[in-house]
Amino acid sequence: MSAEEEENAAELKIGEEFLKAKCLMNCEVARVLDHRFEIIQQTSDDPMNNISQVFEKSMQYVKRFSRYQNPDAVNQVREILSRYRLAEFELCVLGNLCPETVEEAIAMVPSIKSKERAITDEMIETMLQDLANIKKFE
Amino acid sequence: MFFHIELERNIQLHPRHFGPRLKEKLKQKLMRDVEGTCSGRHGFVVAITHFDDFGKGLIREGTGFVTFPVRYRCVIFRPFKNEVLEAVVTLVNKMGFFAEAGPVQIFVSNHLIPDDMEFQPGDMPNYTTSDKSVKIQKDSEVRLKIIGTRVDATEIFCIGTIKDDFLGVINDPGAAS
Repeated sequence: MSAEEEENAAELKIGEEFLKAKCLMNCEVARVLDHRFEIIQQTSDDPMNNISQVFEKSMQYVKRFSRYQNPDAVNQVREILSRYRLAEFELCVLGNLCPETVEEAIAMVPSIKSKERAITDEMIETMLQDLANIKKFE
Repeated sequence: MFFHIELERNIQLHPRHFGPRLKEKLKQKLMRDVEGTCSGRHGFVVAITHFDDFGKGLIREGTGFVTFPVRYRCVIFRPFKNEVLEAVVTLVNKMGFFAEAGPVQIFVSNHLIPDDMEFQPGDMPNYTTSDKSVKIQKDSEVRLKIIGTRVDATEIFCIGTIKDDFLGVINDPGAAS
């Protein structure tokens, strides 16, 4: 079986390289791309011609699906989620989808309940509550 | 999922670019060569964010071209099997529907749409539940799970499902109007 077929995000099998890499939530990508787009606009006479289709589509997507607009809120989300020693990938899926219930969170990120980790339902509940609070006070 | 990773690539540069602006030329060439491309291993390269290291150039025999190894960090988009993400519906037909999540296209076949949703043809083809409470049409936002990926030289194509718990429509533009 090739590495490609063994991939399974539900069990956090995303390959060593991606496991170690830093994941970005949609709102963080939006910040990076916005910054980049400003530079392109300043330095080029015809900005629309200078960006790839991949860039354009990604920018539209992350803008549409950004849960948090405020940069401080984004940092807080990261801070809260990192308390639970989640993998980067899990952290970002939760940050992107903002599940409301414990069952929903587990359905979105099944690996959160894997045996090696001692994350209880109560802990997930607290975590989701904290995230909801950030959203509320943003 | 979007990632921020470090990659390395060899860039070939023509001797006419050698001079005080050599690094600038290398950066420009790297951006042109890499941004917007897609590989099976790393997915779509969205944007280069940092240039970390320019290695020593190696002159190619016979041509005069010089190859520079360049390390850079970039934002990439790479879908994974069993990943849950949100997407925008772009096309609906009787076979199922297509949705887009950033640069990637995802097809959801009608077998992977809940059984109580029926296809409704017309100028705005859609899938609707029997009580008409939920509707999937162009521009709807759906949450789906990727169940398979197909990698091509220049594109990654995904198959998704919305037939599972906590998946399906999250926002229907038609419902608001």
